[in-house]
Amino acid sequence: MSHTKVLLVDDEVEFASALAERLQMRDYDVKTASNGLEAMALFHGSPPDIVILDLRIPGMDGLEILKNIKIFDPTIEVLILTGHGDVESVAEGMKNGAFEYIMKPIDIGELTSKIDMAMKKRTGSRA
Amino acid sequence: MTDNFERELRFLQLRFIGKILAGFTHESKNYLAIIKESAGLIDDMIKLGKSGEAASSQFLEITHSIEEQIEKSTGLFKYLNRFSHRMDTRLSAFNCNEALEELMALINRFANQKRIELAKDFQQDMPLIYGNPSLIQFLVFSFLEETIKTLDKNSRIIIKTGTANGSIIIKIITDGNLIEAEREKEDFPYETYNAVLKHLEGKITPESGVKTFTFPLKVSDI
Repeated sequence: MSHTKVLLVDDEVEFASALAERLQMRDYDVKTASNGLEAMALFHGSPPDIVILDLRIPGMDGLEILKNIKIFDPTIEVLILTGHGDVESVAEGMKNGAFEYIMKPIDIGELTSKIDMAMKKRTGSRA
Repeated sequence: MTDNFERELRFLQLRFIGKILAGFTHESKNYLAIIKESAGLIDDMIKLGKSGEAASSQFLEITHSIEEQIEKSTGLFKYLNRFSHRMDTRLSAFNCNEALEELMALINRFANQKRIELAKDFQQDMPLIYGNPSLIQFLVFSFLEETIKTLDKNSRIIIKTGTANGSIIIKIITDGNLIEAEREKEDFPYETYNAVLKHLEGKITPESGVKTFTFPLKVSDI
């Protein structure tokens, strides 16, 4: 049983809810947020182990969310989710401490493998 | 027109087409991502042996969502296809509202990123006009892009069309706060755009919160 706590931040609500359900079927404990404010509220209410973050969510800079997460707890790992070939923003995200990035449309096996690797790193960092 | 002007114009037009394609592919990838996750969810549910009324209802909901995404994709493809064919000839008879509607659909993503609403207020009985729709789309895009950059989030931009004194009027009306710092640092090639406007025999009248483009009305006899 995994029970890794995942916060999925994406403004595409249908995408986020389908992906969340698929991850829950694989024993991840998933919450979703469709904008920056909702994400930060959920984040502070119950800090996740892993954040899957679309950097281009409307209304708030995804990079700012990433920086805030890392200030709050540097061991929380962030996977950048991107639907476009914006190499610059992904590179900026990686520079600011993101663990990995994944392109849409995603492969569920690839995503869970990256979540597990990120969780391993987080567990190692906290030991 | 000088060589420098031609080079600058070519660069700006390629940049414009690149932006349209980037927005289109981004949006398409989002639709495909939803379709893929929805199909994956059905697959997962079948493998887990989910059945009964609740599962059937969820299957139907998911398939409707897939249909909806396909319809949205088809709509976007239609706009991109029409946009591309506008470049087939230098001059053609076209409906200004249709050209602006497809432009708005293709750049909506850029506005949404800043939570800026793009709204239209089109005159319904616009006559077909004869001209270069691609250049008009290019100009409107360039000023719209600049306007989006300079506006704060939760603003609104209204594209208004109409006719007056034998001319087509396109207005970009803003409703929101300006971000002064961003506006000052932008290097906006007004001279090039003004030269294009001159080529189209049009003019721009910038006022506070409104940019008005005026093009002489050449009504098509097609």
